[in-house]
Amino acid sequence: MRRVVLALGGTVAGLVMLLSFRSHTASTASAGVTAGSGGTGTSPGASSAAGSGSSAASGAGAASAPVSAGSGTGTAVTGDAIATPYGPTQVQVTLNAGKIVKVTVLQHTDDGVNSQMIDGHALPLLNNLTAQSAKIDAVSGASYTSAGYIKSLQSALDKASA
Amino acid sequence: MSGSRPGEPAGSAGPGDAAAAAGVTGISVTNPDLPGPGATSPGGTRIGRPAGRLRHAEHVMGTVFSFDVPASAAPALPEVLSWLHWVDATFSTYSGGSDVSRFGRGELTLAECAPELAEVIAECAVLNEQSDGYFTAWPGGRFDPSGLVKGWSIERASNMLSVAAKTGPSGTGPSGTGPSGTGHSVNGAGDMQCTGEPERGRPWRVGVAHPLHPSALAVIVAGRDFAVATSGTAERGAHIVNPHTGLPATELASVTVVGPRISTADAYATAAFAMGGAAREWAESLDGYAVFAVAPDGATWQTSGFAAYTAPA
Repeated sequence: MRRVVLALGGTVAGLVMLLSFRSHTASTASAGVTAGSGGTGTSPGASSAAGSGSSAASGAGAASAPVSAGSGTGTAVTGDAIATPYGPTQVQVTLNAGKIVKVTVLQHTDDGVNSQMIDGHALPLLNNLTAQSAKIDAVSGASYTSAGYIKSLQSALDKASA
Repeated sequence: MSGSRPGEPAGSAGPGDAAAAAGVTGISVTNPDLPGPGATSPGGTRIGRPAGRLRHAEHVMGTVFSFDVPASAAPALPEVLSWLHWVDATFSTYSGGSDVSRFGRGELTLAECAPELAEVIAECAVLNEQSDGYFTAWPGGRFDPSGLVKGWSIERASNMLSVAAKTGPSGTGPSGTGPSGTGHSVNGAGDMQCTGEPERGRPWRVGVAHPLHPSALAVIVAGRDFAVATSGTAERGAHIVNPHTGLPATELASVTVVGPRISTADAYATAAFAMGGAAREWAESLDGYAVFAVAPDGATWQTSGFAAYTAPA
């Protein structure tokens, strides 16, 4: 169960990182990002579980209150609100059949132009990406390093299905 | 590959306990930030995934190998992972003490090296000839078979899983009538071998990363028992050198090769990328392999055989 929570937390963190990387290439906003999560109906006690165990000692282990929106369309998982140089951001990811089917921004950045860049450009891209990734099993692309893997769509697929 | 020995215990042909020394990690999806043994079992809880399937990501060879296998293959995974780490230790060009490094310096004869090295060198020679010299194990005049080793090891790992599926105690596949397929995929840094089906009645669907738009896909390919390899500059810059000019290849943004074997597809992708614009005619001549390419301006081309692999988005 702990692994599921970590996977989801990692995915949320990854999505937030993706936002940061896409819109602000020189930004270090992602460096301190943490994202905890709880899943509807799947992980009671997830918050406490996330803090224990050896493999839980990651940078993405901060626990947060579970937020449920699991209707017929999937299970929603909400990340912590995180501080970025452009204001606080919080995203919610909807999972269906182990795949990310939707990304919703619960709390937008409030930094004018930068905020508009993120909200108007990166987020639609992200949702487009997740719509596509919902139908694929794997990704082929130029060879990535271990570091590159972390940002890869393959990494997101591995985590979402693990 | 006729001389391959899938299923052989890792390291038996190599120096000492290379696999153990390389730090084999456990079976789990480990945090990429935290190298080291995982703590969870392969049968862990999954969300929404068809019952009876397992994913695993292994850090090895400076990258990550992703496995998508039926749960019945789980008992075979540790041996496969150990073998990959043994390959890493034996074929590394970064480690001065590896067989490849010592052979390259003339400290070991080929006969003194792990026999797999001779196998790799022989396959490199064939690919060199098939690619008009654009694929080489001697880039820049220095011995480095890395261009083949990753694809070769993906293929071997896949073969080991296939053998285990046929001979293992649970090799009959998932019981009941669940949707889980009995096929597996091994994805090494973006190049993969896929067997069978991930779900019953459904082919594998592999997205090809768009080299110019990091979050988008250029095309989706689908198939059963096939390999997909992509070479490009998106991840590590202009790192592929045209061996005939000595200059970095920049005429294409990425090349994707689809066909039966990943070792061949991977080498063909590297060769085609090094060829640049001239690759199109060569690619059309390949027997059993189809090619899709993206130019730096976003224009794409594909060989006539590629349409058989394309899938609706």
